[in-house]
Amino acid sequence: MSRELPYIAAIDEAIHQEMARDETVLYYGQNLATVENAPFVSDFGADRVRVTPISETAEIGMAVGAAMAGLRPVVELYMAEFMLVAMDQVTNEAPRMRAMSGGQVKVPLVLKAGYGFAAGWAGQHTGVITNMFLGVPGLKVVAPATPADAKGLMATAIRDDDPVVFLHHYLLTLVHGDVPEGEYLVPFGQASVRRTGGDVTLVATGWMVDRALAAAELLAGEGIEAEVIDPRTLAPLDMPTILSSVEKTGRLVLVDQAPRHSAVSGVIAGEVAEHGFGLLKAPIVQVTALDATVPYSEPLEAHVLPDEDRIASAVRSVLGTAPVAA
Amino acid sequence: MNSDDALRVLATMERIRHFEERVARLKLAGEVFGLIHVSVGQEGVAAGTCTQLRDDDAVYSGHRAHGHALAKGAPMNRVMAELMGRETGLCRGMGGSMHLVDVEHGFLGATGVVGGNVPMALGSALASRLRGEDSVAVVFFGDGAAQGGHVLETFNLASLWQLPLILVCENNGFAEFTPRSAHTVVERVSDAVAPYDFARETVDGNDVRAVWSSFGGFLERARTGEGPFLLECLTHRLSGHYVGDPAAYREALAADEWRKLDPIVRLRTSLIEDGTLDEAAADAIAAEAIAEVEAAETFGRDSAYPPESLTAEVAYA
Amino acid sequence: MSSKPDLTWMYTQMVRIREFEERVKRTFTDHPGVIRGHTHLADGVEASIVGSVSTLREGDQVLATYRCHGYPLAMGTSADAMMAEIYGKATGLCKGIGGSMHLTDPANGFLGTSGIVGQGIPHAAGAAWAAQIRGNQDVVLSFFGDGASKQGSFHETLNVASLWKLPIVFVMENNGYNVVTQSFQEDANAAAGQDLSIKATGYAMPGVTIDGGDPVAVHEAVGAAVQRARDGEGPTLVESKVYRLSAHGNLIAPPGVPLHYPEHEAIEVFGDTEQYAAALRGDPVPRMRGRVVSEGVLTSDEAERIAQEARDEMQAAVQFGLDSPYPELDEALAYVHAS
Repeated sequence: MSRELPYIAAIDEAIHQEMARDETVLYYGQNLATVENAPFVSDFGADRVRVTPISETAEIGMAVGAAMAGLRPVVELYMAEFMLVAMDQVTNEAPRMRAMSGGQVKVPLVLKAGYGFAAGWAGQHTGVITNMFLGVPGLKVVAPATPADAKGLMATAIRDDDPVVFLHHYLLTLVHGDVPEGEYLVPFGQASVRRTGGDVTLVATGWMVDRALAAAELLAGEGIEAEVIDPRTLAPLDMPTILSSVEKTGRLVLVDQAPRHSAVSGVIAGEVAEHGFGLLKAPIVQVTALDATVPYSEPLEAHVLPDEDRIASAVRSVLGTAPVAA
Repeated sequence: MNSDDALRVLATMERIRHFEERVARLKLAGEVFGLIHVSVGQEGVAAGTCTQLRDDDAVYSGHRAHGHALAKGAPMNRVMAELMGRETGLCRGMGGSMHLVDVEHGFLGATGVVGGNVPMALGSALASRLRGEDSVAVVFFGDGAAQGGHVLETFNLASLWQLPLILVCENNGFAEFTPRSAHTVVERVSDAVAPYDFARETVDGNDVRAVWSSFGGFLERARTGEGPFLLECLTHRLSGHYVGDPAAYREALAADEWRKLDPIVRLRTSLIEDGTLDEAAADAIAAEAIAEVEAAETFGRDSAYPPESLTAEVAYA
Repeated sequence: MSSKPDLTWMYTQMVRIREFEERVKRTFTDHPGVIRGHTHLADGVEASIVGSVSTLREGDQVLATYRCHGYPLAMGTSADAMMAEIYGKATGLCKGIGGSMHLTDPANGFLGTSGIVGQGIPHAAGAAWAAQIRGNQDVVLSFFGDGASKQGSFHETLNVASLWKLPIVFVMENNGYNVVTQSFQEDANAAAGQDLSIKATGYAMPGVTIDGGDPVAVHEAVGAAVQRARDGEGPTLVESKVYRLSAHGNLIAPPGVPLHYPEHEAIEVFGDTEQYAAALRGDPVPRMRGRVVSEGVLTSDEAERIAQEARDEMQAAVQFGLDSPYPELDEALAYVHAS
């Protein structure tokens, strides 16, 4: 059974169900457990659901310690950028502990954060900084694009025995979609093929998945059939699904809202260049944000961020029906 | 605070109040966008401090920065144009509400990450010391920032190096949406710095005369190279955390209760009582502020958006 | 361990730690190339370590810094496995993957360390939160140096621990140095001549400063704080004044340059031979040996026999480490993820 839920409510549902299922799950962060979030407190008690000061290092560091001591903390960070204040804990503590102890400890925690806004939040609250987490062995990174995936990946993240950065895209917050009721798990490392097509492979993440699907519809009107793949988890990354699609289409356009030189698309392009070079009929094209701090002013924000028109142009270029885009 | 100062402070508060109220309306109308934090109710702190500073004194603010920028001398029409994302804005439309910067007037800037500005201000104080100047650095932050690690790091260094830094904490009792009691058992921010033993005072931030007097005392000492100082201003944010925040977590003050606290009403009343102003003159100050806000709104609306090339132009120095 | 300090046990553990650290140090000259990277010794800090962990019971946990050899030794971890870890061997406590700075032994209550100054403090608070939820009145000890108290993590964690009344004792081992820098050069309180436990007042938390060279004084002060934490009354900051007798760590250099322990910074950097000589006169290990003999707890012969046993144990640990094989290559990727 499923019913429609907004993306953010699907995430909350997963946290709620996991907390009910497993009493070692904690949920805490700034501004949490005020009246707006009272249900979590009333259902699971103030020991497990706590509001914290604006102290990111302590919040994430405590998650590491609580996880090593047998709990499963979910830290509500609201904004991925706030992890930058505590980057040592995120990248140099949580994912290192298991390895450095020779496998004696595990650090099951979830760092839940929004990312990638595009609504005038300007330079410090709009970033897509996924690559800062991707380069860290030991850390898993998930970025759901649908309400169902949001629920299923959060549940999996909580049950996973490793530190997981769970990134939810702000613009998807209120997007509705079918969400299975009850227990629902989406495995890590399995991409979702959201649309099939034989002419070109589009790989997009997060909010850009819907943009890629919109571009695919646009292109279908021109007789171009695009296959749209959402990796869903960026680490681990499901390269086999992407490679087998490229084997079919021979053309690859990578879509990412991160700045060009810090996008997951660069990682995928490198893997395909190495393992699928012979499959390619045209150079890989990346449609990303420009390498710039996201400007506040609306027209400039639109200028630096990718959209469906740019995706469609890129597809036309790899099919040789339009000049190669910059 | 002599009567000339008082009139200047009153005019500054009126300018901030009417600007903020207009910005809130423009946000709801979609003409100003992004995350907007207004300081209605907290004008006394900005006006009671910044109007005593010079252009070569560095001021840093956070996400709730409009009032500080205006009080420090940033032209209102350029602040409004920035909030509208226009080329004529303080930051040419690149920064927006949380990232106002006006180097010319010593407003070195607002940063959108809680407490991120505090160590930056320490750097300006160090620069003043190294250059042998009598300029000072002032940083505004909320009580929520006081639990941030980088703020402690600054307390220690400012104290160790005795830099001319004035830390102004606007304690409105709420860190974003959460009451202070959920953040710390330390009631006053001035108690949090107690171990570092620097001069500190806690004043009623709605009493602009008290703010002026305490800040002025610290400023005089900072000009001679003393420091650091902490001025904790107990204030009351009259609205939610951001424009549109339903603010269900806090109890709104009854209107008549607020009238007693409102820093503008208090100063205006006292100036009328002591004969500095009459009602008509006081109303004229408010009317002038409103006219300035309206002109700023028109200026912003009539300004062009920046060219796309600006993004690349400002990416690197 | 009982609440009354067992002086024989304390003396034994202090000697074992001293001997272990001496062997680590000597490895650089006796067996060049066996230890790679950075080690940090606790010689001089033994009384503080032993006095602190003597207050613990089953279920309590300890988290510490990269200067971490002393705690697990006193808590029951095998010296063989520790030395093998420092030598990077497969038989090491962490299978040769962690090294000197990252000893971890959860089975004995030693939950681990951070190699980054101050960053283990919130980990300890997280473990204390877990203890609070378990509800068994377990307590966590968080060890760190005076330098860490200038890290934001210290501030954020002490505030939250006080607010949530976490069952934790923050033991700040103040050895007067931050690597090379002396505390008064970087700490406003030290510069003002104050005890660093005054920092506790900023968190409405009790703070106490003690002589970390006296294991009984440490036992009593930490013990009172542990009892307070067990009773649900919240955390305490204990400043334990110590003097590390070795330099901050061994020289670290590119391959090919022989590694060794330089002179202590007091001499090497500041030329203050008197400061160092005074520290040697206050060395807690001979102090403790004198005490157990003069108080009649042990005879001189018994004290020497314990010392000899420690020397033998640590010599065997060196040999065990030397004789052990390196890990298999596929171990390098074996612990990246738990699932």
